[in-house]
Amino acid sequence: MGVSKLKKAELYYHKSVNDQVAAVLQELGACQIIATDEIPDSNNKDFTKGFDVAEEHVAEIRYLIRTLTPHFDDPIPSLDRMLGERPEVTMNELENLAAQTDLKKLCEEVRNVERETGEVKTGLTQAKNNKDLLSNLAFFDFPLSVVTEGTKTVKGVVGTAKTELLDGLRGALGDFSKFAQDSELFLADFDNKKPPREIYAGLIYSAGLEREILEAAAKNGVSVVDVPQEFKLTPKEELEKLESVITEFEAREKDLSAKIKMLANNNMPAVQQLSDYYNSMAGRYQEMAHSYGTESAMLTKFWIPTSEVDKLNEKINALGTDLELVLSDPAEDDEPPTLLQNGGLVRPFNILTELYSPPTYKGIDPTPLLAPFFWLFFGMCLGDAGYAIVMAGVIWYVFRKYKKIPSGIKDFIKLFAFCSVSTFLYGVVSGSFFGNFIDSFATFLVPLKNSLMLVDPMSNPMQVLGISLLLGVIHLMFGLLIAAYDKLRSGEIIDAIGNDLSWFMLIVGLCLLGTAMNGMLPEHFFDIGRAMAILGAVIIFIYAGKGKPGIINKIISGFLALYGSTSYLGDILSYSRLLALGFGSAVIGMVINLLGGLAGDIPYIGWLIGIVVIVGGHIFSILINILGAFVHPLRLQYVEFFGKFYSGGGKSFAPLRLSQEYVNVKA
Amino acid sequence: MELLGLSLALIGAALAAALSGIGSAIGIGIAGGSAAGVMTEDPDKFGSCLILQALPGTQGIYGLLIAFFVLNKLGLLGGAGAVALNWNQGLQIFAACLPIAIVGWISAIWQGRTSAASIQMISKKPEAMGKAIILPAMVETYAVLALLTSILMLMGIQVG
Repeated sequence: MGVSKLKKAELYYHKSVNDQVAAVLQELGACQIIATDEIPDSNNKDFTKGFDVAEEHVAEIRYLIRTLTPHFDDPIPSLDRMLGERPEVTMNELENLAAQTDLKKLCEEVRNVERETGEVKTGLTQAKNNKDLLSNLAFFDFPLSVVTEGTKTVKGVVGTAKTELLDGLRGALGDFSKFAQDSELFLADFDNKKPPREIYAGLIYSAGLEREILEAAAKNGVSVVDVPQEFKLTPKEELEKLESVITEFEAREKDLSAKIKMLANNNMPAVQQLSDYYNSMAGRYQEMAHSYGTESAMLTKFWIPTSEVDKLNEKINALGTDLELVLSDPAEDDEPPTLLQNGGLVRPFNILTELYSPPTYKGIDPTPLLAPFFWLFFGMCLGDAGYAIVMAGVIWYVFRKYKKIPSGIKDFIKLFAFCSVSTFLYGVVSGSFFGNFIDSFATFLVPLKNSLMLVDPMSNPMQVLGISLLLGVIHLMFGLLIAAYDKLRSGEIIDAIGNDLSWFMLIVGLCLLGTAMNGMLPEHFFDIGRAMAILGAVIIFIYAGKGKPGIINKIISGFLALYGSTSYLGDILSYSRLLALGFGSAVIGMVINLLGGLAGDIPYIGWLIGIVVIVGGHIFSILINILGAFVHPLRLQYVEFFGKFYSGGGKSFAPLRLSQEYVNVKA
Repeated sequence: MELLGLSLALIGAALAAALSGIGSAIGIGIAGGSAAGVMTEDPDKFGSCLILQALPGTQGIYGLLIAFFVLNKLGLLGGAGAVALNWNQGLQIFAACLPIAIVGWISAIWQGRTSAASIQMISKKPEAMGKAIILPAMVETYAVLALLTSILMLMGIQVG
């Protein structure tokens, strides 16, 4: 239970077994190399060099994965892969694969295809643009060489003309203008009733008068369009040629995409496996580079959980006699990382503590303390037996289908499996099954439902509000007691009484007093409560003045401390969310059933729409309410509960491990 | 005049659904912009971004919940016919809708801003997902309290 004990290990070994030692430490997956700020000295070159080589391959792998993934028909869906459905390989197989695969050549090949694809794409775009231009110039039935080259005496331009200025243009360059003999204007056909803003125009003119004529054209709304130099024939003929060019480009594009698809499908499985291999190698050498070295010997320091020491010894002994493993307990000034080790039922809740911040090595592990509360609060917030059955069913299916789920994900799923139990129980005692499904559609079950109900948030919400707030008081007081225990453990008796136990007495006293006044508790609790509350308040008052100079300061800080009780009031009221969220999911469920029932009244297809509304609606409701039922109880742990005694501040134990994103490495 | 009560109650229901819905839409919009920015760099963050983006969406649901609550109380669902309501009762129901309408509206916007900031946070520190979820949830507390207030008020009002 709690934070697992670690040993500080110093492993001395001969340089000749460098690689074997590195492999053993990584494959054990239980050693966190102690990082030094700098790589200690140059005698561990083997490791830094190994890292550089691996890193180079990692870069190639990254490029390949990024480029090929969009073209790869992955036989393993990524969800399956996440849930552990990965090929099983051994490290030896990976090494052989790495030796056989020429990543550099593959990269080169992929890069070539990529580059060629780029060229083809640019060419195709250009050809299509030209095609547009040429089809617009179809009216201009002259060889385009007159535009692109011209002759000594005759030249031409093509461009666009503004339709509103056409009369002016005709006046300046047309049959009756002063340039009538030296120019000829051609205009594309257009619909006179709905003239476009611009039309295409062509102009052939005497080379001698080029400047004047172009000036007159520009003045009258003609803007010249560049025609690519390679066009010599008439637009229609060029268009035909272009069509074949485009067909050719498109064929090449198709070839290339088939080629890259083939490259992806042929190589991606290997690339994925090598991704894990080289990432493992890079990680291994990067960490091992923190070793100290001399000419012939190496020293690697690392943390290892006590429970793994035997396994390590066994593996090290297999490497020969040139190794020496020295184990010691963490020293006073060491800061060992934190490995949470909680058994069976509590283990899935580790993730909640780690999400906040793991405890320091010597601190209290709050996981077993928060687990029952989180479990209960989640159940109250989701609070529906039907939803719990759906959750449990989905989880059962996942566990049945996937046998190799990685432990981190498995724990997270288990957390929800546990919480589905509390959800079911609270759903039963509060009479909620897919909202008010039983009352709406399965009335024969109503007597059963009612006989199991203990609370009824719908008709008596104050009762559930009271329970929620009471749970809040229990949760907070538990937190205070833990804080007091923690302080007593380290000998701070006065702080424990002044800071934590005093508040405990004040609040518990007030609760007893209040309930006794309402007649919910026998009368003598009134006196007990009053005495506790007064004693608590006095201690708070005195403790706050401790160390303050002068009687006035003492009094002021005493009152300020008592004013802090408002924050406890806020903390307790915060638990009203347990009612609100449970209520929320019940009412959303009710609304869905109501809508489904209304849809059922539609003639003929009503039953179908009703089923769709009810099924779809409840799926939505489950998802949104799980999010709420996860987040809010978590907040109650982090803010209200942890606020009393826990601040985390540790670093998670992160051992040197093999990368297993795409494959499972067999021992 | 005899329908004034019903009208007031319906205005209340409309405001509860509309204002908190507007707030959630704005909040999700703000968070979504941030999420899209992060995903251009790292598309793998879609899952965590989506969760953070969805957080300011609950206010709209709370508002809808209150609106349905009112409609149900008025007997407007299920064809049983509206209950008789004097204008005092109508005004009471209207008042009961205000907490979730106003707090839902404004808290969703601020929650959206916090979500947007949290999304930026996980783009740099994916391991901080737990903290990133809690920060927007701090804002939502007040929407939950407003929902609770509205529910308790509605349950206390006698109609029919």
